[in-house]
Parts: sequence; structure tokens; C-alpha cells
Amino acid sequence: MLNYFTFTTTIEILCFFVALLCLKKDNVPMWKYFSFFLLLTCIAELSGIYLKRNHHPYNAWVYNILMVFEFGFVNLMFREIGRRYAQTKTVIICGIILVAVFYALDMISHGIFVYNNLTYTVMSVILVIYSLVYYYSIMTGDNYVRIAYSAQFWFVTGCLFYYFGETACDLFYDKLQTVFITPLHTLTYYIYAILNVLLYGCWSYSFICRRWLEKRSETL
Amino acid sequence: MQKMAGEEIRNTVIIATAIFLVAPAFIVVYISVYNNRKKRHIEEKKLMQLTFASELTKTQLEVQEQTMQTIGADLHDNIGQLLSLTSQTLKSIELDNQAKARQKIDTSIDLTVRSIKEMRLLGHLLQGDQLVAVGLAEAIRQLISWMERSGKYKLVYTVGDEIPAKGNADKDLIIFRITQEIFNNIIKHADASEITIGLDYEQGMLSLRIADNGVGFAADEAPPGKHGMGLQNIRKRAGIIGGEANINSDQGKGTQIIISVPYP
Repeated sequence: MLNYFTFTTTIEILCFFVALLCLKKDNVPMWKYFSFFLLLTCIAELSGIYLKRNHHPYNAWVYNILMVFEFGFVNLMFREIGRRYAQTKTVIICGIILVAVFYALDMISHGIFVYNNLTYTVMSVILVIYSLVYYYSIMTGDNYVRIAYSAQFWFVTGCLFYYFGETACDLFYDKLQTVFITPLHTLTYYIYAILNVLLYGCWSYSFICRRWLEKRSETL
Repeated sequence: MQKMAGEEIRNTVIIATAIFLVAPAFIVVYISVYNNRKKRHIEEKKLMQLTFASELTKTQLEVQEQTMQTIGADLHDNIGQLLSLTSQTLKSIELDNQAKARQKIDTSIDLTVRSIKEMRLLGHLLQGDQLVAVGLAEAIRQLISWMERSGKYKLVYTVGDEIPAKGNADKDLIIFRITQEIFNNIIKHADASEITIGLDYEQGMLSLRIADNGVGFAADEAPPGKHGMGLQNIRKRAGIIGGEANINSDQGKGTQIIISVPYP
């Protein structure tokens, strides 16, 4: 059982519990259902480990399915966040169509049992662009954002760190995979570990902001 | 040799990856610094708006106070005297002596008419207080009419044709208060006999020029006490509405003050 608690799954499970604690009474549906998405992520990660440890030949199909939910959910979150700045519907739909096309191409070329690396890279680039557009909106908007208390800002920051780093890792994966930091783990293992800490750390803090700090900052 | 090239490529890839990982941190820090600056700017702007609003209220009160003081003094020194005189004249009428009574009644009527005229002027002065209704040029004209009435000063008032019909109530109020302050200074300190007032508008700038032929003062040595404070107030108030006050004066050569304000 303990084998299932890797560095990444532990962080994901912790983030799930923070979401459960902070967002269960949230008024906005997208935030409220965040914990369901994290639960799904945890289940997928644990299933992936189970399949790998039990010598099943493929576990990539689990991550390929998770990818659909991940992109769908993060996209909807960006739509929710971008609502106050601009009309985001068209941009979001274009992004979904683009990723869907690459997903279909990946599926046709190698099927569901091989990881959709190209789709994930395209998806990461799109989400990085959304994050940068959000920052641009903050800079050009009439009002300032209380960054230390803004759930939206920390959600986007988590996304930017993760998907930016993820893009680099995907691009240079073949070379990075050859660099062993310890006899057991390559450089990519540590980079992904750091990216996961940043992503789930920022997201957990954004849930805390959502539950307590945003309301407090409004009364300051 | 091939191994060396492979090693170099690997190092380059590691460095590129490190840059990719650090870049978001720089972006976030930049956004944070920019946002903090924006916050400071917005807070300063709010503070300035609050200062402006409080200065406007203060000016409104000062204009009213000045008007009331003028009215009070006028009622006591002028209209009060005229009415007392009327009362005395009416009391002294002897009905038996019809010819003399007729003369006294005529004098009383004359005094009453003069009182009514004075009251009317005071009424106009009160209207000047209602700047929004009459406009800046008219409010200044009423202030001048009241000064003319004393007979002490020869006043020349010119108003340019280009002045916008729709003014700016806040700026009008402050310019009017500045005019009151300048007139006060002239009455109290200048010992002048001629005052020239010009109100003009050119290329989005309203300029009010008030010149007197009084004793003047050394402009680089602002007179001490209340007079000096008055000049500082004039400059400060003009600054609040984005304008400036140029004060030119020399001992024995009168004073000229030009207020230039972006308008409306």
C-alpha cells in the first residue's frame, strides 16, 4: 500500500484534501467542483501506479483519458477567471478544437495505449498562452489585484509554472532522460517533482485564498 | 569527439530547461512589482481626489463666509444707516407744517429708494454665491458691481468672446474664491484707485488677469502674515485645478496676478 504514496501522489492527495476543506461550500460551481477534478487526478495516478506495479504492459491509456478531463477542467477554470476581463468563449472554443484535432491525430497514429505526448505539448502551450493573457489583463486593467489574497492569480501562477516547465521537459525529454542525478532517478524525475510541488502548492494556496483570504481582504 | 559533442548538447539542453523553469518566476515577479506600482498609483489618485473634494468643500464654505461677512458689514454700515436716517426723518415730521413735512417725506422716499438699491446689490452678491446658476463671468461682474458701489475704485472689466458657455462648476468655484481673495488683498493692503480685470479664453486655457495701481510689494519677498498666506493660497488653489498663478509686483508699481487654468 505504501508503494502507492510516491512524491507526486502524496502532493496530489494533500492538494485534494485542501480543496475539499476549502471549497466544499464555495458559491461558484467551477471552484466547488475543483475537488472532484483533483479526486479524478489522484485516482488516475494511483491506477497508473497499480497497472505499472502489476506488470500490465500499458498504463498510458489512463493518462490519455485523464488528459481530456484535465484540459477540459483547466479550460473551464480559465473561462471562469477570464469572464471579468473579456469575452473568452471564442478563444476557449478555438483552444479546445485545436487540442481535439491533435488528440485525434495522436489516437489515429498510435492508438490509446501510447501516451499522447504531442497533444500534451500543444495543450501546455495553449494553457501557457492563457496564463500570459491573464497577466496581461491584470496589467492593463483599471484596477489592481491584491495578489497575496487572489485565488485566481495563484491558480494561474500554478498553471504557468507547471505547463511552461512541462513544455520544456517535453521538448527536451530524450536528452534530459539520459541525465541521471541518482542511480535510480533521472533529471526529468526531479524536474517533474519540482513542477508538481509548484503546481499543487500554488493551487492549494489559491484554495486557501478562496476560502479565507479573499473575503478578509475585501473587508480591509 | 562524438562523446564530447553529445555532452555539449546535453549541457545546452539542461541550461535551456533551467531557463524555461526560471522564466515563469521572472514573469510572476514582474507582474507583482507592476501591480504594486499600479496599486500605489491608484491609491495616490484616490487621495488626490479626496483632497480635491475636501478643498472644494472648504472653498465653498469660504465663499459663503466671505459673502456673509460682506453682507453683514454692508447691512450694518450702509443699509442700517440709511434706514436709521429714514426712521429719524419720518419721526421728525410735523404734520402742522405741511411744506416742511413734504420735504422730509421726499427725503425719506429718497433714502428708502437708496436702501432698496443697496439691498438689490446685496441680492446680486448672494446670487454670485450661486455660481452654477449665473456662471463665472457674471459672478465676477456682480462682485465688481459691489466694489464699484463704494466709489473708491475705478474698475474696468473685460470678458473675452471665446469663453465656453458650459463651464466647469468646480473650477468656477475655485477661480471665484481666488478672485475674492485677490479683491480682499486689494481692499486691505493695496491702497489702489484703479483695478483692471480681464477674463479670457484661448486654446483650452482660461486666464483671469487682475491688475491694480496700488502700493505693490517686492514679489520675491512675499509679504509676511496674512497677506503672504493669501498669496500662497492663491497659488495652491490654482494648482489644485491644474493651473498656475503668476504674481508680478514691485514696490510702488502695483500688482498684477494672472491665473491660468485648463478649461473647462
